[in-house]
Amino acid sequence: MSARSRSLAVAMAAASALALSACGGGGGGGGADSDEPIPIGIIADLTGATGDVGKPYNDGQLAYIDWRNSDGGIEGRQIEAKSNDYAYEVPQAEQLYKQYVNEGVVAIQGWGTGDTEALSQSVARDELPFISGSFAEPLTDPEEAPYNFVIAPTYSDQMRIALNWISEDSGGKSEVAVFHNDSPFGEAPVDDGKTWIADEDLGLGYEAYPMPSGSQNYVGLLSQAKKQGAKYIVIQNVASPAALVAKDIAAQNLDMKIVCLNWCANELFIDSAGAKAAEGHLLVQPFAPIAADKEGHQPLKEYAEANGMDPADIGTSWVQGWYAMHVMAEGIEAALKNGDDLTGPAIREALETMGPIETGGVVGNGTVEFSGDSHRGSSATGIYEAKDGKMVEMEAGASL
Amino acid sequence: MAATATGIHHRSYTSELRLRATRAEYVRLGLMTVLLLVLPFVLDNFWLSQANLILIAVIGAVGLNILVGYTGQISLGQGGFLAVGAYSSAILSDRIGLPTPLAILVAVLLTAAVGTFFGLPGLRLKGLYLAIATLASQMIIEFVIRRWDWLTLDQGYLNVERLSFFGFEIGGREVFEQQWYWVLLVLAGLAVLTARNLFRTGLGRSFMAVRDQDIAAEAIGVNIPRAKLTAFAVSSAFVGLAGALTAHYSEVVSWEKFTLDVSILYLAMIIVGGLGSIAGAVYGAIFMTLLPELIRQLSLGVDDTLPFLADQLPAVRNAVFGLVIILFLILEPRGLDRIWQRIKDYFRFWPFRY
Repeated sequence: MSARSRSLAVAMAAASALALSACGGGGGGGGADSDEPIPIGIIADLTGATGDVGKPYNDGQLAYIDWRNSDGGIEGRQIEAKSNDYAYEVPQAEQLYKQYVNEGVVAIQGWGTGDTEALSQSVARDELPFISGSFAEPLTDPEEAPYNFVIAPTYSDQMRIALNWISEDSGGKSEVAVFHNDSPFGEAPVDDGKTWIADEDLGLGYEAYPMPSGSQNYVGLLSQAKKQGAKYIVIQNVASPAALVAKDIAAQNLDMKIVCLNWCANELFIDSAGAKAAEGHLLVQPFAPIAADKEGHQPLKEYAEANGMDPADIGTSWVQGWYAMHVMAEGIEAALKNGDDLTGPAIREALETMGPIETGGVVGNGTVEFSGDSHRGSSATGIYEAKDGKMVEMEAGASL
Repeated sequence: MAATATGIHHRSYTSELRLRATRAEYVRLGLMTVLLLVLPFVLDNFWLSQANLILIAVIGAVGLNILVGYTGQISLGQGGFLAVGAYSSAILSDRIGLPTPLAILVAVLLTAAVGTFFGLPGLRLKGLYLAIATLASQMIIEFVIRRWDWLTLDQGYLNVERLSFFGFEIGGREVFEQQWYWVLLVLAGLAVLTARNLFRTGLGRSFMAVRDQDIAAEAIGVNIPRAKLTAFAVSSAFVGLAGALTAHYSEVVSWEKFTLDVSILYLAMIIVGGLGSIAGAVYGAIFMTLLPELIRQLSLGVDDTLPFLADQLPAVRNAVFGLVIILFLILEPRGLDRIWQRIKDYFRFWPFRY
């Protein structure tokens, strides 16, 4: 019986395999032709560890798409955004990425450093331009990450500019503590900062402290920084934990000045810490906040008003999302104007060769520009001070 | 007690030891083979990528089930052992230049060695105490892969070359998932077959004896320390293979993929699938890998009526994840495998109840 059963099984397997495979179909694929919508995938953190700034960033991206689509789209074609939450978990990001690739997107917008780095090889092989909320330095090198584009100064550049400012502010001698998110995002500029101090002979002491996630307070870290003698705390983290540090400094009456980089340099930091605790701290922010009132803020304000929002409520992370999408849309438009089929390589080439992308004074010193040798879109950043609960511009377009 | 088919009279030990005895079993095997052979031709690339993740998870879950389900040694160190396999295979193949199959083999052996080392507390500890000791192994390995800069040459993550062996290289976007499917299917098939046969040998039986009653096992001559350490070694070898394949398949290795969450996910796989059952490990790997994606599809489907599901998707996923484990523990602690057995029994006995 068993021999018969076995041959039955083999015969069935062979016959059905042939029959079924004949009706199988290939999946995915497809660039985009003529009037079809332009598919873009968005990997967003709405509810994860960096959701406090990730959510408004995503709102900004979607608002831009909405605004652009109602304005006729790109060269008459609508943008079709697929946006999903990955909760800051790398495996989820990879899953979404595979889904988007299968659905035939022509470009992707991502979020975190860990997942952007994890996907950089894949996007290179799949030839999909990738702009994300991560400004980690290795992503600017076309040899290492040929399809990643960084639209603002890198975390390392921001750190260098912050250290230059601290060196000047302190008269060339001070201790600096770096509080950072305990992840690739947080660690990104730490070593570069140390190298910068040595190379430029800045005379600053420098210690890095990973911030345990989910902490209710950072008194322990602050006491370590105090022991180090730190007068300046550079924070490379998102707004909520940075605000906790500001509150702890105020509660303990410590003589320390916070220098926030990018993702904590925003209104959310000031609001969460409270105007009093945030007062006097420094914010290194490459994207001009609405309060700075640049020309490039006009379309955002108009869009907000048309949609029943108060333009004054637009946070910097929202502006970042808007302009991240703007840069990508401009690249797509340039590729279409070149008369190319809309593919990843065509968008990449357009971004590399189209010259400066105008942002109306919002990003860096006003424009974002890539080349075949560098995907560092800008190296200038604004420096702001928290004053009376507002971000007050101290210096626009500061660079090295 | 699962039912046995009536009308089968074994006339030799070989016949009795056979893995499959009835016609129905052969038909099911045939159908499953068909399904597995046809999948890459009917699934699109995304669902094929899910199938590939499942195949890797099958290898890892079978490995963990050998240790937890069959030997009774609870382990929370799965994520760490996966990391050992992934990092060592990536470094051996890309940086040291070993041919990839050899690098994977060495990674498997290395993970087995590391697993055996961290299994040492198992000689003195049982149950919850051992769980905490293996949790320590997870923490230690995670600490090492996060802080030891040499591993990633200061980069924080490792890029892995596209898989190639014996002159064959996995192709581009169109064929990537399909080609990987065949590679993973062969390896997962081998892993399942090896594990299935392991428990027909004296070594496998000694594992189960340790689990069921270690003092009695010792009395009948089982070398307990050796059995426990071998179980750790064999289990870790499977897990190391899963880790190495994770590295080469996803082409990037970063510590964020090997956290405690992964250890818990794998434990959930074998609990939901069925402890002490190879088929259970397979069912669990399929179920727990597909669950998040199915929830996502469901939330998209009911977006109009229940929009909060899509808005809070990751939280909903975690909640469902917890709920599934609780429900299985309460309603069917022996998992999907037992449910499948009961379905088969129902049809076998029908129209009688027993």
